[in-house]
Amino acid sequence: MTSIAKDGSVKPSVASLFSLSGATGPLIGLLLLCAFLTFASDSFMSFRNFLNIMDQITVLGIMAVGMTFVILIAGIDLSVGSVLALAMMVLGYLNVEAGMPMSIAITGALAAAAICGGASGMMITTFGVPPFIATLAMMSIARGLANMITNGSQIIGFPAWFNMSAIIRYGGVLTMTVAVMLVVFVLAFVFLRYREGGRSLYAIGGNPEVARLAGINVNRTTVLVYVASAFLSGLAGILLAARLDSVQPSSGVAYELDAIAAVVIGGTSLSGGTGGVVGTIIGVLIIGVLRNGLNLLSVSPFLQAVIIGLVIVLAVAAETFKRR
Amino acid sequence: MKTTFKALIAATAVASIAGVAGADEVKKIGLAVPNLQADFFNQIKLGVENYGKELGIEVIVADAKNDTATQVSQVQDFMTQGIDAFIYIPAGAAAAAVPTRLARAEGIPVINVDRFPEGEPGDTFIAGESIESAYQVCDHIIKLAGGEGKMAIIHGQKGTTPEVLRFQGCERAINENPGVELVTQQWSQMWSPDEGFSIAQNMLQAHPDLKIIFGQADGLAMGAAKATDVAGLSDQVIIGGYDGDVAALEYLAECEGPFVVTATQSTQLMGRLAVDSAIKVAAGESVPERQTPNAVLTTCEDAPQYVEQHP
Repeated sequence: MTSIAKDGSVKPSVASLFSLSGATGPLIGLLLLCAFLTFASDSFMSFRNFLNIMDQITVLGIMAVGMTFVILIAGIDLSVGSVLALAMMVLGYLNVEAGMPMSIAITGALAAAAICGGASGMMITTFGVPPFIATLAMMSIARGLANMITNGSQIIGFPAWFNMSAIIRYGGVLTMTVAVMLVVFVLAFVFLRYREGGRSLYAIGGNPEVARLAGINVNRTTVLVYVASAFLSGLAGILLAARLDSVQPSSGVAYELDAIAAVVIGGTSLSGGTGGVVGTIIGVLIIGVLRNGLNLLSVSPFLQAVIIGLVIVLAVAAETFKRR
Repeated sequence: MKTTFKALIAATAVASIAGVAGADEVKKIGLAVPNLQADFFNQIKLGVENYGKELGIEVIVADAKNDTATQVSQVQDFMTQGIDAFIYIPAGAAAAAVPTRLARAEGIPVINVDRFPEGEPGDTFIAGESIESAYQVCDHIIKLAGGEGKMAIIHGQKGTTPEVLRFQGCERAINENPGVELVTQQWSQMWSPDEGFSIAQNMLQAHPDLKIIFGQADGLAMGAAKATDVAGLSDQVIIGGYDGDVAALEYLAECEGPFVVTATQSTQLMGRLAVDSAIKVAAGESVPERQTPNAVLTTCEDAPQYVEQHP
């Protein structure tokens, strides 16, 4: 949204410009998409379908927020899908197999996810492993651990309220899971825009050396960013478990690619330093609306894959073109 | 919360009463498949689509790409589209009960094919009789190997209905032949040829004297056959598969490799049965809880006829 210039000072005029160019392109794309689908499908433009879309983007939305932090500091996190699976399996193991109350199981799942993020962050900062490699390694490790917990089988048998929290719409609108996503959105937005810690992410993404000289503890912040990303993946995993009423270690394969796609479509630059959560939310909505709309239009599954690929290319190409 | 929950139950009750009482006509069917990359599911899809076309029923297909979460979203979208019947092949081992609940809430028929979610069965379950057929395949390859030797099994996705049942059947054949030693087994995620290839390659590396391999799906068996060729062990190893995929039947028809037998499932028939059952349930007629279009043991000699016309 706003950007800190390379010398570390905030330039409001430039900032407002970035705020526009960061999210307006994707927003126009989203509105066009919705307009098209309204005409093309009878069932798209309804309150109920809108609520369905909100349900469907919950997991991706929360993961994409974490991914936004990571990409803002010019990193990448390939492990989110696997960490999600690990958190789900820990949750299932603690609650169903070990018979612990849900509060402890959820805490354990989130802690397991956060530890993964901490490990990735340490690999990157202490040992100088490039983020791509460090999180690639974590992707494999977390997936393996998730499979080891039950030797590859699924776990079912959560308490009834758990699935209900993803089904019952309080006040006819909000399921518990969607509410959690909205809270994450608001917190992330406020943090990135108004908190010193959030601003420092832009500085690190712009130029880590300058950020360090400006007094930001780059290593510590980097580790915390990967912890946050993994923690949010764990949270997404818990919500996914509620939605599916079961956990299985093969969950979340290739979700990291969806999360990266959402962030990039939302206008956050892969080279770091520019972008923000609002763009990401729009990116998530574009992916969600597109998938939902193509299903409603009964577009063949094979063609759907092609269209989604084309949209990603279009979004990135438009972004690059604008930068020239 | 209580009122919402009550409302939900009330809505479900009203909807299911409506579903039973009204002799509803089926105009639109939603078919949720785990993964269209697997020929087995693609054949079922073709069966449903072709039969739907004959009857003038619109068929909507959703491919979950083996992801349970994707499938739940797709089924939600089905409900928005107002389908009259739901043919459900659960993706993944967790076999989420959620899609069935969603359909029940709308009061529409749920037809399970090949797999069904534990605790939340549909109106009918259509699947080949896996245990007996798997027994026949394993029995066949064990006999060909002279009733003894080291054996390996390449499983499908762990915990799915076919994976569990096919193993049960094959295990029976193994137990009947004390000379056969099951030395190694591995699970695949996608039932796919590339997985079959790499798994078999590792197995042959660890056990070069392997004589019998059972791939729980034709994709796995085809991959294993390639790996055996590469290892130069085609003369020593005998491979059995399952499903009767088109590619596998063509391979068997040539009768040149180590992969010699499969159980051909009547996939197209399953699709037709599913549509028929959906129409019956919607009209308030009763259907059997379990329908079993049997798989046929297929060797080199029988394969050409099934290549011509898939059952």
